[in-house]
Amino acid sequence: MTERTETAAPAAAAPPADRPTPVSPAPAGAPAHKGAGAPGNGNGRWSGDAGESFRRNLGLVGVLVVLIIIGIITRPDLYGDMNWVGDNIMSILTLASVVGVVTVGMTFVIIGGGIDLSVGAIVALAGVWSTTVATQSYGAGGMIFTAIVVAVCVGLVNGFLISYGRLVPFIATLAMLVAARGLAAEISDKQTQVSNNATINGIASNDILGIPVLVYILAGVVAAGWVLLNRTTFGRRTVAVGGNPEAARLAGINVRRHSMLLYALSGLCCGIAAIMLTAQANSAQAAMANLYELDAIAAAIIGGTLLSGGRGTIVGSLLGVIIFATITNLFAINGLSTEAQNMVKGGIIVAAVLVQQFRFKSLTQLLARNKLSSTN
Amino acid sequence: MTQHDPLRPVRDLSRRRLLLGGAAVGAGALLTACTSNDTGDGSGGNEQVKAADSSANPNSAPGQKVVIGFSAPAADHGWLAAITKNAEAQAKVFSDVEFKTVAAGADAAAQRAALSTLISQKPNVIVMLPHDGKELNASGLEAMKAGIPVVNLDRAFPDALAYRLQIKGDNYGMGVAAGRYIGEQMKAKGITNPIIGEIAGMDELELTKERSAGFAAELAVLGFKVANRRAARFTADTGQAEASQLLRALPKMDALWNHDDDQGIGVLAAVKQANRSEFIMVGGAGSLAAIQAIAADNSVLKATVTYSPSMASSAISLARLIGQGKGMSDLVELQVPKEITLASETITKENASAYTKLGF
Amino acid sequence: MTDDKRPDEQVQAAGPTAVDNPDAVDAPDGVDSPNGTGPAGDPPPLVTPPADTVPGEVVLRLTDVVKTFPGVRALDGVQLEVRAGEVHCLLGQNGAGKSTLIKILSGAHQPDSGQVEWLGEAVSFGNPQAAMKAGIATIYQELDLVEDLSVGENAFLGHEPKQFGFVRRGYMARRTREILARLGHPEIPPRRMVRTLPSAGKQIVSMARALSHEARLIIMDEPSAVLAHDEVGNLFRIIRELTAQGIAVIYISHRMEEIREIGDRVTVLKDGRTTAANLPARTTPTRDLVSRMTGRTIEYVFPDRPADAPAGDELLQVRQLAREGEFADVSLSVHAGEIVGIAGLVGSGRSELLETIFGARRASSGTVSMAGRQVRPGSVGAAVRAGMGMAPEERKSQALLLGEPVYRNVTLATFTRWARLGFTDAGRERAEANEVADRLELRPRDVRRPVRTLSGGNQQKVVVGRWLLGDTKLLLLDEPTRGVDVGARAELYQVIRALAARGVGVLLVSSEVPEVLGLADRVLVMREGRVVHEAPAGELDEDTVLDLVMAGSLMEGAPA
Repeated sequence: MTERTETAAPAAAAPPADRPTPVSPAPAGAPAHKGAGAPGNGNGRWSGDAGESFRRNLGLVGVLVVLIIIGIITRPDLYGDMNWVGDNIMSILTLASVVGVVTVGMTFVIIGGGIDLSVGAIVALAGVWSTTVATQSYGAGGMIFTAIVVAVCVGLVNGFLISYGRLVPFIATLAMLVAARGLAAEISDKQTQVSNNATINGIASNDILGIPVLVYILAGVVAAGWVLLNRTTFGRRTVAVGGNPEAARLAGINVRRHSMLLYALSGLCCGIAAIMLTAQANSAQAAMANLYELDAIAAAIIGGTLLSGGRGTIVGSLLGVIIFATITNLFAINGLSTEAQNMVKGGIIVAAVLVQQFRFKSLTQLLARNKLSSTN
Repeated sequence: MTQHDPLRPVRDLSRRRLLLGGAAVGAGALLTACTSNDTGDGSGGNEQVKAADSSANPNSAPGQKVVIGFSAPAADHGWLAAITKNAEAQAKVFSDVEFKTVAAGADAAAQRAALSTLISQKPNVIVMLPHDGKELNASGLEAMKAGIPVVNLDRAFPDALAYRLQIKGDNYGMGVAAGRYIGEQMKAKGITNPIIGEIAGMDELELTKERSAGFAAELAVLGFKVANRRAARFTADTGQAEASQLLRALPKMDALWNHDDDQGIGVLAAVKQANRSEFIMVGGAGSLAAIQAIAADNSVLKATVTYSPSMASSAISLARLIGQGKGMSDLVELQVPKEITLASETITKENASAYTKLGF
Repeated sequence: MTDDKRPDEQVQAAGPTAVDNPDAVDAPDGVDSPNGTGPAGDPPPLVTPPADTVPGEVVLRLTDVVKTFPGVRALDGVQLEVRAGEVHCLLGQNGAGKSTLIKILSGAHQPDSGQVEWLGEAVSFGNPQAAMKAGIATIYQELDLVEDLSVGENAFLGHEPKQFGFVRRGYMARRTREILARLGHPEIPPRRMVRTLPSAGKQIVSMARALSHEARLIIMDEPSAVLAHDEVGNLFRIIRELTAQGIAVIYISHRMEEIREIGDRVTVLKDGRTTAANLPARTTPTRDLVSRMTGRTIEYVFPDRPADAPAGDELLQVRQLAREGEFADVSLSVHAGEIVGIAGLVGSGRSELLETIFGARRASSGTVSMAGRQVRPGSVGAAVRAGMGMAPEERKSQALLLGEPVYRNVTLATFTRWARLGFTDAGRERAEANEVADRLELRPRDVRRPVRTLSGGNQQKVVVGRWLLGDTKLLLLDEPTRGVDVGARAELYQVIRALAARGVGVLLVSSEVPEVLGLADRVLVMREGRVVHEAPAGELDEDTVLDLVMAGSLMEGAPA
């Protein structure tokens, strides 16, 4: 593109005198580079939304640091003991591990434009199914196999209802929440089923190099989730299907099959979580993993996952879960009530969403506008 | 499906080997089989019933036919499950009792609706464990007005006109008993300033507050106090989660009271996972698993204070007597009393064997 | 091939593209405008406002308005002066800042600096309500109506006539009816749900909303884009009535002929700046306007057709394709290296036809074959595998992941090709996307930018570019230049022709007849779901096509 050229032969009807004054002629720089060279926006700052996610995650790390500082200030006696601090970090990560695994699956579903309200119920059903007397007789392998197969199957049913049965995700998974807990109660006869399997229970009590096995599992699932989302065709399809299902469809992506797989993936995570939770509690019952769906959705949201789909990060979700676990820990070590803890959690969810909506830029605009109107 | 007894040794292995062959056919078959909790001994669990032995107690002799309507929440908790089971089992003992149970639904409103239906069927007596005493007070009144005596189980109606008999456990007394046992143990160990933790049940329930109040009051008498308290939700996984944090908050502890033996499975798991053993733990309610653990004396759990679901069995027996117009034979009065509060008993290693049959 | 069903209809082209609006009041013929340079030629205006200088007082004046967004200086010193009773046209390429300017005037954005003077007072509208209250109403391109409310409720949305807290429904319906009558559409019932109205009807409702506010300035953002031909005439009649009442109109359109016909003065924006203000709308030569918009002196430049007719193999063959209620009995073929254009009005079934060929809709009967092999119906995946690619009509809602980087949008249909064991190869994707970006002269060039930061024309390049990767043999283009500025259009035309030269078959749908005639080798005319005519583009002229397109439509029997 070249600079504006004045036509040498203007029409008679537009004599030079009539010609409007060209206000502020085109800048010397070629217009082709306009925009890219806009102020405060060096090259490479536009690497997708990665920069934005990075900033948000940094914000979450900041929140974590603040929480830990509050802990240090309120309980200097405990934080003075480095052994205790190490144990406490592991305790927080262990507390975050089960919900964390569920949240990874939830993050995929939400990025893919859906929602899975049945995760807690699937964890309970898989946990109960894998701890019946009959299943336990097959040993740890049988229990793990059962939990995972049951959870994936339930996820597939969810996905099938949503993708091919055209049910709204909210409705389908809400129905599954009720049904799966019902089935879990039926199987367990409303009893708490104790796990007598030392291998399973050992998952929660054993360490490797001072780090609990549960934390390794969380790390493994998170790493796998990150790779899956950011480095594979599956992840790419997830973003496409959630970001613009019509565009994905018209680009030849099988949107329905992919949505179904997303719910199966969520189910898989629930199956893994069921084993972890069973190991932690040495038991399973129909009421276990109560409201995990809300914990997982909340963690994903404060981690920056867009509820409408198409955007989200695994790291953000992980940070969200860890923040919640740290709050629980902070309140526990200070002997404060669960009620206050829940209120703070609610506040953090709202604050996180608000921060997402009104970013820093908007805030400065808001201030500028107020200043403008006050001078007027 | 019968009740699964977690600590009973698994006996019927041959049957499951058969199932193993079937599993080769496909995971579906395996998974279906895996829903089985049948221990194979045929008897199922251990309902707490009083045999109808008319030679020992003339009241047990078959008499006028009594239709007893029953309603209790179907919550996913061992204690509540035991309530329903005990009631059913006790009713079966009497040949003159017809037992009619209605589902209580998910909340007070659903139970209210179910009760209206029950009242319209005119049973002789209604035994109910309300979702919430206050919210179902009106249903109690309605039944009483219709001439049907109401036996309230465990969760009191505020209005005395709403029930004929109230039989309940002693939540405050539980706390007191737990506090007393811990106090004795501390004294025996010579600990003058013990660090005491508490894992409560669902905090929004009245009974949790009563238990904690009794515990705190008894400890105060001894000059002790609770150092940290976490509220779980009567489930093992929440018990584990809260206990893991409590253990972190109290790096050294002398005693711990856990309100509920069901969530205690998780609490004990957390204790084991944290490798802690420097304290004694007291349970609550008196589950069979807890009683057996106390008898075995191989964990931190040294005692549990009862809040027995056996009250449901007693409620059925007394409802029958009310229906037949009889009194309790050991009492002078010709009618059943209006209120019965069970004492909370403390089960320790010494007396555990006597309580095994009452464990749920 | 059904060649020319009604050859006798080709005769006697009626008036040019202009208004078929019998009740338009003809003003005395003023100065004839010089002919533009467009290939179709600018039609002589039928109606000319009295003079170039508008007597009305200045109602709106913008001085040095600046607005920046993260990474984009959307407005960089805009001047604008609008007088009462004039139609002030705003010209500019996509991305020149027109939308931002509208949003500032309507209160959706606030300027960073500069002054907005409304009726002689400096103002800053904190929100759209404030602007409405002040008397500025905006009719957006994407109509902002609540689909599940009635016509009347939409017209009075946010300022319902109330009494004792109750909406005066009867009064509201009566007022709406009055306004609709004033707009020349008394037949729209005020209580009808907006969802059930066609686009033209919805636009009338938007306009009714503006009138319900007693607006003194109405901003119309490409109002003709969603309208059929005869509706444009009605729109102009309404605009004339409004201006006669002293209401000012800011009119935004890419169509030069409309600006000539309805406009009084023109302000041109380029890269967020005013490059020319208050040009006379009718007399300024098109070349001059275009040069101010683009820095170039050309308008529509269609690439030359190859000298001899394309002799490639038959690529796409559609036989008796039909879809209940949308189109019927369509048979056509596209050869390798050939551009086939489909002309037809919105609602003629052309977009539906394209989507059905692509498998996005399932045909009720008929077959689609690629290179002799039948394509599985109702499966986009099968169509893509067979070598088809499609750029759908609605770029944003049907084709793009706006938050995702350009390269991921370019590779959306092909990323699996470079993936190994399910792992994507982002480096390779970026390299491929870079190549496409170079070929299409994408601006800005950085393929890692989110697509939403690109202008409409560049977004369209991304959509077309998607199918340049891999082995697309047939490209289906639905309105490829909708909302694309003049400069970018010419580039797109070059790209499409270059693709054909490489042996790709192209099936193109466009509402703009000159585009179809200028670009395609062969033209099919669709009307009411049927192909009514087929001929080499060279044998057709705009009038003939328009006549074919219009005949038998809603204007049946009316003088064309």
